[in-house]
Amino acid sequence: MSTLIVIDQPPYGSWAGREALDMAFSLAAFDQPVSLLFCGAGVNWLRKGQEPGTIRQKSVEKNLAAAPIFGVEALLADGGDCNRYGLESEQLLDGVTLVQADSQLFTKYSHTAFAG
Amino acid sequence: MQDSTPFSFTLVITGAPYSSQAPQSALSFAAAAIRAGHRVDRVFLYGDGVQLASALASPPSDEPHWPREWSTFLEEHGIPGVACIASALRRGLVDEGEQKRYELPASNLLAPFTIAGLGEWVEGRMASSRTVYFHGSD
Repeated sequence: MSTLIVIDQPPYGSWAGREALDMAFSLAAFDQPVSLLFCGAGVNWLRKGQEPGTIRQKSVEKNLAAAPIFGVEALLADGGDCNRYGLESEQLLDGVTLVQADSQLFTKYSHTAFAG
Repeated sequence: MQDSTPFSFTLVITGAPYSSQAPQSALSFAAAAIRAGHRVDRVFLYGDGVQLASALASPPSDEPHWPREWSTFLEEHGIPGVACIASALRRGLVDEGEQKRYELPASNLLAPFTIAGLGEWVEGRMASSRTVYFHGSD
């Protein structure tokens, strides 16, 4: 029973994405197969070199780096949304797979949960 | 009904009462599911949804009191209602145990809600045949 957690919220300015990330880590901690999909404004999570110190927030980059350690199977990003936000592949964090977030992708998972 | 096999549901509410319709929609859904012969295994409050478990909510008397309506519903049907501890502590929702631990001036968790970790959600989604999410407007 594999789960797709969809983060469609930006990394700062909304707490929903962070709480969705905790859901993914929690599933992985209980040995449940889980992957993360970033789409819409959520692709900004994957930007390299984030410096949110000036807005007194913790960088989500560090949190995301823990994903493979927790056992999250894949970090997926919608290619079209990356283009829309001007994210070239060299600006993306390591280990991200570009996909097309469509119904075909969703059918591969038995359970899908959205942030927010 | 084409298929008479009853479902069991875990409901996840992430939208707060009075700033979103999530708790209200979830309550209508839960009541309809039970009327139709299905089961609700548990209700998990996450993110802003934890506001539903505040014992201090005091809406004007001509508005529905969603925390109280949910509380009555859970007790009537013996359904566990769980608020995520990380979401709850950030948002100022604590039971007596957390009040003592953090030396806070009061506790405000509405019975029969309890506070527990995300493991409750993981368990719910493994045990129930369906998990349904009720989000806020963000």
